[in-house]
Amino acid sequence: MADSETRVVRTTVWSPGPGCHGGCGAKLYVKDGRLVKVEGDEDHPFNQGRACPRLLALTQYVYHPERLLYPMKRVGARGEGKWERITWDEALDTIEKKLKDIRDEYGPESVLFCQGTGRDIGGPISFLAYSYGSPNWVQLGLAGQSCYTPRLAAMSVTFGDFAVLDAGQFFVERYESKEWQPPKCIIIWAQNPMSGCPDAFQGHWIVECMKRGSELIVIDPRWTWFASRSKYFLQIRPGTDGALALGMINVIINEGLYDKEFVEQWTYGFDALKERVKEFTPERVSAITWVPADLIIAAARFYASSKPAAIHWGLPVDQCPEGTTVAQAITHLWCLTGNLDVPGGNVIARASHNVTTYPFDSHQLLSLYGEELVKKLSEKRIGAQRYGMVRNFRGWAQPDMAIEQILTGDPYPIKAAWIQTTNILGGQAADLRKHYEALKKLDFIVAADTFMNPTIMALADIVLPVATFAEKESFRSWWAPLSVVVPAVKVGECRSDWEINLELARRFNPEGIPWKTVKELINERLKPSGKTFDELAAQGSWEMPPEGHPSRPYRRYEKGLLRPDGKPGFRTPTGKVEFYSKTLEEWGLDPLPYYEEPPESEVRTPELFKKYPLIMATGRRSPVYFHAEHRMIPWLREIDPDPIIEINTSTAKEMGIEDGEWVWIENDRGRIKRKARVTPIIHPKVVMVPHGWWLPETEGKEPYLYGIWEYNCNLLIPIGTQGKSGFGGGAYKTTLCRIRKMEKGEV
Amino acid sequence: MPRYAMVIDLDKCNGCYNCFLACRDEHYGNDYPPYSAAQPLRGHFWLRVIEKERGQYPRVKVAYIPKLCMHCDNPPCQQAAVDGAVYKRPDGIVIIDPEKSLEQRQIVDACPHRVIFWNEEKKIPQKCTFCAHLLDKGWQEPRCVEACPTGALVFGDADDPGSKVSKVLHSARAEELRPEYGLKSRVKYIGLPRLFIAGTVIFGDTDECAGGVTVVLRGEGVELSTKTNNFGDFEFEGLAPGSYEVLMQHTQYQSRSINVIVKTDLYLGENVLERMA
Repeated sequence: MADSETRVVRTTVWSPGPGCHGGCGAKLYVKDGRLVKVEGDEDHPFNQGRACPRLLALTQYVYHPERLLYPMKRVGARGEGKWERITWDEALDTIEKKLKDIRDEYGPESVLFCQGTGRDIGGPISFLAYSYGSPNWVQLGLAGQSCYTPRLAAMSVTFGDFAVLDAGQFFVERYESKEWQPPKCIIIWAQNPMSGCPDAFQGHWIVECMKRGSELIVIDPRWTWFASRSKYFLQIRPGTDGALALGMINVIINEGLYDKEFVEQWTYGFDALKERVKEFTPERVSAITWVPADLIIAAARFYASSKPAAIHWGLPVDQCPEGTTVAQAITHLWCLTGNLDVPGGNVIARASHNVTTYPFDSHQLLSLYGEELVKKLSEKRIGAQRYGMVRNFRGWAQPDMAIEQILTGDPYPIKAAWIQTTNILGGQAADLRKHYEALKKLDFIVAADTFMNPTIMALADIVLPVATFAEKESFRSWWAPLSVVVPAVKVGECRSDWEINLELARRFNPEGIPWKTVKELINERLKPSGKTFDELAAQGSWEMPPEGHPSRPYRRYEKGLLRPDGKPGFRTPTGKVEFYSKTLEEWGLDPLPYYEEPPESEVRTPELFKKYPLIMATGRRSPVYFHAEHRMIPWLREIDPDPIIEINTSTAKEMGIEDGEWVWIENDRGRIKRKARVTPIIHPKVVMVPHGWWLPETEGKEPYLYGIWEYNCNLLIPIGTQGKSGFGGGAYKTTLCRIRKMEKGEV
Repeated sequence: MPRYAMVIDLDKCNGCYNCFLACRDEHYGNDYPPYSAAQPLRGHFWLRVIEKERGQYPRVKVAYIPKLCMHCDNPPCQQAAVDGAVYKRPDGIVIIDPEKSLEQRQIVDACPHRVIFWNEEKKIPQKCTFCAHLLDKGWQEPRCVEACPTGALVFGDADDPGSKVSKVLHSARAEELRPEYGLKSRVKYIGLPRLFIAGTVIFGDTDECAGGVTVVLRGEGVELSTKTNNFGDFEFEGLAPGSYEVLMQHTQYQSRSINVIVKTDLYLGENVLERMA
């Protein structure tokens, strides 16, 4: 409640702070220049006043006593924890000189620009990397680039765009919009939308659909809340989602349940797909996936006969073996059933008002940075020569190859890393030890973040303190609405990612960067909307795309709103939805979806399975944490205090493990310890090990590094399992392990 | 004068924890005299979310139960307090006076729901006030209700027949948590987890799921009947603990009967019916 001395700033939430993929409207209450309270903004259509625990704990984050508040340089050896406060000028001068020296001697490609998951970082970091001249913008550690990129690629090659479950999020009136209708059936595929903050999607959107009659099919190895309220729950073997999707396509085609009119008029390659799925009978798929055949059939029938129906999917799809093709098969489900870009289906999602913050696809890459840079990206970028999809879809360097290249120096040496918004060693890096050893070899490492973490402690030479969303100017056009992030407070000497990177970009490329302030840069990017930052801020921080705009639904393929030539159809080589992908064919990949067994499994490696009889799936979300963040926030930590492992009640009983006891999780790559959470919700042959665990309250100096060697599950996960496309297949959900109760005296 | 009540619809609560965090944001570091002193940084759950996971593979149910002061009409904390340290406002809100309750640890122990917390530093018992300080300022609901993204928490005047809360209160499904305590709670629940017995029936001759089998459950004074679905599954929910007989019948198959003693939720696994000769 605002009193006379309290100012309310209406803004858009995008990391850092809650850390998530963002999009909510928030009201920040400021008193005497200090943030005192946070609420969801009831006038913002994205969240309609709702918030999440991490947003509600924002004051704890912003004013945390351990937050990084000023630049520092390392004064001891790496890992000794000896830091000295320096000025911004000294920090930026040092970085400029070191990186320019490296550029002169080894070429700009010898510097990696590393980010974590895609948030308000893709814009600033790719901008900096390209201004410096390096094509190596990379989610270092993320095996197989297995987070959304495989799904984006699969959708892009199939229908030339991306699509999301339609919960009315493209309309101001949301569920009351006359244009929208609720899906009759929702498939929640490999996600727990309560806890995740997936791809800018919220759990309560699904609950609102359920209130309006949506019935659920849930596909997951865990009984989530949604699973226990579903019509059909398919408790699947981790990593076999591709087979399930192909089996469902088999049922839908063979029983004639597909949308014949849509398939006839708007698609290409139906017969080839029909032929391909022949071998995926429900019985065979059942043997692969553990899902009973009659349940596969019932789910496929219910999905295909419900109009409209929509699929909401999660990151485990990308982490299946050959993640791209798994996503392709699932994409085909909504295309076959005519649920593409219709109300209550999977609706095409374009950057709002065509404003781009960073390149999501090659079209945007071209329009943002021009052909010359794109050419350079294909010549020098790590992975672009080996993988057609890496070369042609988005601007990422391939992470598994990048870490190998640091160690081998082949085909050229890597000398430095710029690490921003990513705690590589505490977070996403599979084969943790290899990343630790490789990164230690680099001559120069800069890290920009909000808190000290294992990565900074082990590796950084210079540390830059980063502003939270409450302290910065930024903008967001990731689907809709178009929104701006409006600063409310200032904390220490923290600067925003945009501010830091604009300043350095100008030093690296003085001729190419005309903007003097972040706001000027943002206004340039906002031009397609016809609005400025200040105008958007003044109107509550957001605006929906106008009627008739290509970034507003529905049935844009009929209206000629999707293709550059303005003709009806899709942005694909045939102009149609391609079940048989011409693009994949051109990139030297199988044009049709297929199934591949996980790299370690009872089927593929039976000998290994005898030794390690449990599937370790990692990464279930917590409502109070975002990946490796927030363990130091007291209000959040007390809800989810310990690094746990979920073990099924019957499995735990067989092994004599009781709830709350500590266990070892082991495989050939090492062992970690976790506290047993004995629960019926996890499949008896699977254990769930939450990721991102390091303990900020413990010793940070080497060799401890806040407990990463004891608790981080990525120690047990391999790299180099990427799919044939270069994308997908990080084995985060499918690695085999065994567990053993910790004996007395063991620590 | 309103008479406040809350209804928590567990069918809508998906365990997001916003209620707990909103309570933290409102009460940590903030005194609201005369109703409450500030929450300490750790250890106080004026609103706690209980995660309830039950059943056995492959039949499991998950629920989240937000639990806060029940603002009982018959509050044992009030009986345990001395010097009038606990009182009930005319609108029904139970308040622990932060000054008068100094050193009165017995107030914490008096609550069978365990929703009163001891503040070690201030030596006082503390709990939910329904955000009385906000209601006094004209708010329609406490912070936790405002923050609930799914509408699972409903709050308002139980005496106003037009209010949402009074409508849900009068639905047959609203009930007290642990009515056996006899406290007359102002907080009621919809969809509280109840014991279930479930199972799957298979036809022995075809090894297929047995749809349309009549299943009868008898025991503890009840007799219930249901039919298996296409997957051969059946379920009885809302049971009291005790002894039951489960009888599976089909015109072309031999009946099968199982006797069970049920203390927790039970999945009986696959039960094979053999074809009649």
